[in-house]
Amino acid sequence: MFGFGKARKFTHTTDVVVLGSGGAGLTSAIAAHDGGAQVMLLEKSNRIGGTTAVSGGVVWIPCNSHMAEVGCEDSRADAMTYLRRITEGRTDEVLLERFLDAGPEMLRFLEAKTSLRFAPLVKYPDYHPELPGGKMGGRSLEPGLFDTNELGTWKDKLRRSPVFGGTPMTVTEATSWGVFSDPLKLPYAELGKRYKQGLVCYGGSLVGRLLKALLDRKLEPLLETAARELIVEDGRVVGVRAERAGTELNIRALRGVVLASGGFEWNAELVKQFLGDRVTHPNSPPISDGDGLKMAMSVGADLGNMGEAWWCPTVNVPGETYDGQPLNRGDFSIRSLPHSIIVNGRGQRFVNEACNYNDLMKPFFDFDPVAYAPRNRPAFLIVDAQYLAKYIMVTAVPGMPTPDWIVQAPTLTELALKVGIDADGLEATVKRFNGFSEEGVDLDFKRGLSSYDHFYGDPKNGKNPNLGTLSKAPFYALPVQLGAIGTKGGARIDEHGRVVHVGGRPVPGLYAAGNVTSGLMAAGYPGAGATIGVAMTFGFLAGRHAAANGG
Amino acid sequence: MPEVRFETRLSLTVEQIWAFVQDMNNWAPMLTGYQKHEIIDDRHSIWTLKGDVGILSRTVVLDVQIIEWSGPHRVAFTLTGKNESVEGGGLFEMQSEVAGAAPETPVAVAPRPGLFGRLLRWVFGALFRRQFGKVERLDVAIAEGVGSRLCFTLRMDAGGPTGPLVNALLEPALLPAAEDLGSKIAAHLEALHRG
Repeated sequence: MFGFGKARKFTHTTDVVVLGSGGAGLTSAIAAHDGGAQVMLLEKSNRIGGTTAVSGGVVWIPCNSHMAEVGCEDSRADAMTYLRRITEGRTDEVLLERFLDAGPEMLRFLEAKTSLRFAPLVKYPDYHPELPGGKMGGRSLEPGLFDTNELGTWKDKLRRSPVFGGTPMTVTEATSWGVFSDPLKLPYAELGKRYKQGLVCYGGSLVGRLLKALLDRKLEPLLETAARELIVEDGRVVGVRAERAGTELNIRALRGVVLASGGFEWNAELVKQFLGDRVTHPNSPPISDGDGLKMAMSVGADLGNMGEAWWCPTVNVPGETYDGQPLNRGDFSIRSLPHSIIVNGRGQRFVNEACNYNDLMKPFFDFDPVAYAPRNRPAFLIVDAQYLAKYIMVTAVPGMPTPDWIVQAPTLTELALKVGIDADGLEATVKRFNGFSEEGVDLDFKRGLSSYDHFYGDPKNGKNPNLGTLSKAPFYALPVQLGAIGTKGGARIDEHGRVVHVGGRPVPGLYAAGNVTSGLMAAGYPGAGATIGVAMTFGFLAGRHAAANGG
Repeated sequence: MPEVRFETRLSLTVEQIWAFVQDMNNWAPMLTGYQKHEIIDDRHSIWTLKGDVGILSRTVVLDVQIIEWSGPHRVAFTLTGKNESVEGGGLFEMQSEVAGAAPETPVAVAPRPGLFGRLLRWVFGALFRRQFGKVERLDVAIAEGVGSRLCFTLRMDAGGPTGPLVNALLEPALLPAAEDLGSKIAAHLEALHRG
């Protein structure tokens, strides 16, 4: 830095700068701090938590120590076999092994150093439990409830989920209460009481406890502070230029910068370039705009998995917004319950509606080369009166007036005409599906065959928890949109969380974790909490390595 | 039935206030989250409002019926959700005041249990949250012997099995909604008659 005109004056100096306050960023900051580093955490929005805060808050960690406590067996070999199959050979096995080894260590670290206590979800199967190495439960863990009053003045700075934020119940409670199959039995008065007390669940709880751990370390995140560029000297990332309330901050990071800034699903240009039209309705807060990805690209990061996302079928309620953008609600359960199907424009089913949300979306991307158009879009969720008499459909509650944004008709033919799908096709499809429902066996798509399907089904529903006729008028239709809970393409990292340059070597001083990285799971999704589990594990590794080695 | 009540004093006669309040077109746009309204007849209108339901924002369409029309002292109306299961109502009361009386602060009436009350809270609370920002309350000292008290009472309640939870989400917004409307009407009238 010679020449007075070009010399950059640093406004702050610290050891590690973390960009982003989701599960990856918070875990990284705690690990770096406890590794002996001074840490600054920058969050560009006005609330802490990123995409993690609006999620289910579940963490998928195979071979975690809690599994044995509840009688769930697992082994590294089983987990590796399963991950090889899920990732279809697309992921560097060194990284998969690193995840399997460091994941349990990350959990032990957080449970020893913070108030987090994870509970294994013994009834929540892997997303393909019948594949070799798959398990029926225990790999997914939840953080329980959290009292936001513990955050003091930071209470209102915790990001809340627009969907889960108002129903403070643990995953275990939700499951035992029949949240999907018996929603009217939920203790709504108790949930209202908990809400008023300031209790949060799921991602809000996970982030709340991580934030509490940060505050306990006298480490206050800088909110509304947006990183704009990485500062590079002699080929090494040495800091970050950021903006806060119109003021420029030049922060020197002596040991490293950790990108934990989320995906790019809200950046229309990046989505167009890498995903085409496959994500139109992101489920995340509208802050995942690829800023971290661009910073990584600016220093020559190698990229991977750019064409993939954590896909999720999505529905909208007209007029609902969150952070000023339309609220896109992921459909995790509606389609799995009896008396429902998803059909394309020809009125035909094309997928097991009860399979996991990531894999469910893949047939939505089928392309008809003759018509030169998507084969299965637009698509509609179709249910009948039996469904709405028992289950909640987005905001439609049994016994209450059906919202007018749900299209309804007295016959399937009229419904088809209203939404623009082939009526004869729909009639034939429903007739065939009703036959399957009577028998309890879906000969076309095997719905209800997997134990995973049952988790979101109705256990009281006769022969198959996921199958039921569509035979009682009126009939209802709802468009299914192309959503994602986040993208999973980005900067390639090594086993320490260091960003890998296109030349194959680490970029000195630069780390990354979470959805800003090349997704470890490739196109797959092994189980509930895999997104956060991987993000927190590599956040942990990155923070610890930066503190100890300085990139 | 849960309800909140907002009071303010104006240096105007009840007749001046009544002239404004009696026409819904005058004050409907002052509702927090107001999007549009449609007058069906003298006593019936449809309001579209957008506001926060806990953490997200939602649009709600309300059927509004005037049920009491006792000028210049009282207007009462009911609210019924057209696209949501909510009910409620509101009451404007205007009373003459004597000079020199001390201004009072807004009063939040303690919620009372009841299905109708729960329902009411939903619509207004949810849809009327401070979209226009905080409005300074007017507690105008009564001067020159002319003064009135304007009271606005608001009730909202969500129905159905999820009602208790929805009401918990909406409760924090109810008093601000009543304050917001009452203050805006007061501010508007004071400005109109001073100007």
